[in-house]
Amino acid sequence: MSGPLAGLRVVEHSGPLGQLAGKLLADMGADVVLVEPPAGSAARAVGPFVDDVPGPNRSLNFWYHNTNKRSVIADLETSEGASTWRSLVGCADIVIEDCAPGELDGLSLGYSALGEPRSGLIWCAVTPFGQDGPWAHYQATDMIGLALGGPMKMNGYDPEDAPGAPPIRGLGDQGYNTACHYAAQGILAALLYRDRTGKGQFIDASMHEACSSTTEVALPYWFTLRTDVFRQTGRHAAAQPTEPWLYMAADGKYNLIFGVGRDNATWAKIKAWFQESGFGKQFGEPRFDDPAVRQPGKGSPEAAEIMAELGAFIAGHTAEEVYRGGQERRQAWGVVRAPSEALDDPHWSDRGFWAEVTGEGRAEPVRMPGAPYQFSATPWELRRPAPKLGEHTAEVLAEWLGQQ
Amino acid sequence: MADLPLAGIRICDLTWVIAGPTATRVLADFGAEVIRVEHGQAADPIRFGRPILSGKPTLNNSGFFNYFNRNKKSILLNVRHPLGMELLHRLIAVSDVVIENFSSGVLDSWELSYEAQKAINPAIIYCSVSGFGHTGRDKHFTTWGPTAQALSGLTMMSGLPGKPPAGWGYSYMDHTAGYYSAIAVMMALHHRNKTGEGQHIDISQVEAGMALTGPAVLDYTVNGRSFRREGMPTGNRAWEPAIAPHNTYRCAGDDRWIAVACRNDAEWGAMVRAMGEPAWAGARFETLVGRLEYQDELDTRIGEWTATRDDYAVMAALQAAGVPAGVCQGPSDRVERDEQFRARGWWTSMPHAELGPEAGIDGVTPRLARTPGTNRTASPLLGEHTLDVMTGLLGMTGDEFAEYTEMGVFM
Repeated sequence: MSGPLAGLRVVEHSGPLGQLAGKLLADMGADVVLVEPPAGSAARAVGPFVDDVPGPNRSLNFWYHNTNKRSVIADLETSEGASTWRSLVGCADIVIEDCAPGELDGLSLGYSALGEPRSGLIWCAVTPFGQDGPWAHYQATDMIGLALGGPMKMNGYDPEDAPGAPPIRGLGDQGYNTACHYAAQGILAALLYRDRTGKGQFIDASMHEACSSTTEVALPYWFTLRTDVFRQTGRHAAAQPTEPWLYMAADGKYNLIFGVGRDNATWAKIKAWFQESGFGKQFGEPRFDDPAVRQPGKGSPEAAEIMAELGAFIAGHTAEEVYRGGQERRQAWGVVRAPSEALDDPHWSDRGFWAEVTGEGRAEPVRMPGAPYQFSATPWELRRPAPKLGEHTAEVLAEWLGQQ
Repeated sequence: MADLPLAGIRICDLTWVIAGPTATRVLADFGAEVIRVEHGQAADPIRFGRPILSGKPTLNNSGFFNYFNRNKKSILLNVRHPLGMELLHRLIAVSDVVIENFSSGVLDSWELSYEAQKAINPAIIYCSVSGFGHTGRDKHFTTWGPTAQALSGLTMMSGLPGKPPAGWGYSYMDHTAGYYSAIAVMMALHHRNKTGEGQHIDISQVEAGMALTGPAVLDYTVNGRSFRREGMPTGNRAWEPAIAPHNTYRCAGDDRWIAVACRNDAEWGAMVRAMGEPAWAGARFETLVGRLEYQDELDTRIGEWTATRDDYAVMAALQAAGVPAGVCQGPSDRVERDEQFRARGWWTSMPHAELGPEAGIDGVTPRLARTPGTNRTASPLLGEHTLDVMTGLLGMTGDEFAEYTEMGVFM
């Protein structure tokens, strides 16, 4: 089997910002060659590390974001490295780079020197703010992207939960990830255009625009009502205060609750479940029969009673019991898991979600997230773990360039 | 007029709420003909979704719906009517892609499994987006975006240590499941261009979220460390790479904050100079080890410096020194104050019958130099294109259309 992108050659020069874009292509069959300086991609210096020992081949961040790629060392500051870069780009279908705007052009190694003469080449530059504009050369990390782009201002606490708390950044480099989700969309759109016409093009992918495009109701509120939404603990930012969604269970974990028995069929099931456990004894009274009075946020006493009983019910059960019991009764409830706690959920093993990799310091395979999508004909596939620094220099130069 | 990269691609769009419409927004922006199949009896709840212009929902005055459904067409089709289902088959026959984000099992109950779709159109690409996917023991469970965020670990990874989770503040995984769907559909289209072969793409919103937590999962499977431990999550302090300062600091004004990150000693040195070389910023903060060890005091001191200053002025001063810094911008900041968005022409508007002649919208990213995605039309009114699609694309006569309308096929 081979992925939908089998046969495509991609040259990548990226670190923490752009590396997911290359992974998305590599995991679906593209031959992605990561060109690294002799010291390695900056992503190799990002922890956590195997056994907390830093080293170019021990970054778990790098392990995850560079699966299925091959590594070639080329120092673009030297004439030999520059020549290698030119040659690799010369036989690539797609280039992905996350250098500062103008940086590669300054070395005569950017799109204007290498891309424009080749009409079929797709060149995607991922940057914090795009190629032009007053902030084009502003410095940014993932957090800066999430701050300026808007996600952070929507995420945080009610004053009673954390007085004076700032907007909060969700961890996991989600600003970089979002930049790369858009970069991949652009690359694939350009690829479909090339399928039709043979023509490539330059793609200007900005993390700032990507993050701003990923803030749900925030912009609609401003465009429609000239209102800013404000952040609230563990739930959506909104233009008005809303009801809590998080309830602590008996084991100290949180359940995430969206309403209770919105329609009468599921309400009957929830009612029976609660009452079997000794909660919500009053729910049999006819005043609870109208779905409208059961909805939180409208001020009805019945809704308040339901939420109070729900809180007591959850406090008396484990979070997983509440989650599964709710889902079995058609409630889209959740449990707030640590990322690794999904490893214990057999549903994901049923689907074959986990991938297994080895690497420096771990000869036995360890699990990590696998396919974000399941293709019936051309599936996601782990062909090789992330490359060791320079592991494939000779191999790729021989294969792509015929150099021995 | 510049060609659009997805010109000629037709999408039979059965999606609703946010995750599916996000996917088709991307495809429509890049030029695909996206035909939303809608149901008057069970309308997309986002058509009622706040913000609503002028009070009462009309199904056509939601700014929320407008944001996710620009550039698309809308047809009304009663799939519970046998003739409505027959028309859906005819639409699938002339489409490149069918995409839906119902609970798993719904399309099967319509007798439109992938196998059935393939019988109608052998090269069809069928993309389903559900909470838990179409296989596995819990496939009948359901999600909203926040459920997927909670189950995948993203919610827990957002917050101050010792506090309840903060995250995510919106349905990040509705957006992002939509992005994965758009990516997957375009990959499948490329494969079909090469081979003529279609396929089924099964996307689980929770799995898409789990795929964004790779290093955290590996830190457990390799190092045995769970995020459920004291001190985690780290709020706005850096998790990895461990650098300091890395936080948000209060500025002058109401709820104004600046995010600042110094990646190395040189950037810290530049920040010290930008702050006017205060006496406190001396020896023990010069190295990363010291800045991490005394991070509480470091954050306090920086916060004292920013507290009396304007957030945009702090950003300008630090960025002029080469230090990563950014205002925590709200939506009004982005639209009204952000110089970068303004310079790049990011904000625009398109006329909409009920939202007004200048219903605001953002641009299309990333920017393809030769064939950029474009804003062409605001979101469609419910059923706005039923007549056009039926009599144009599906070749129905005017009389037939009137007859079908009478029979309740278009409702």
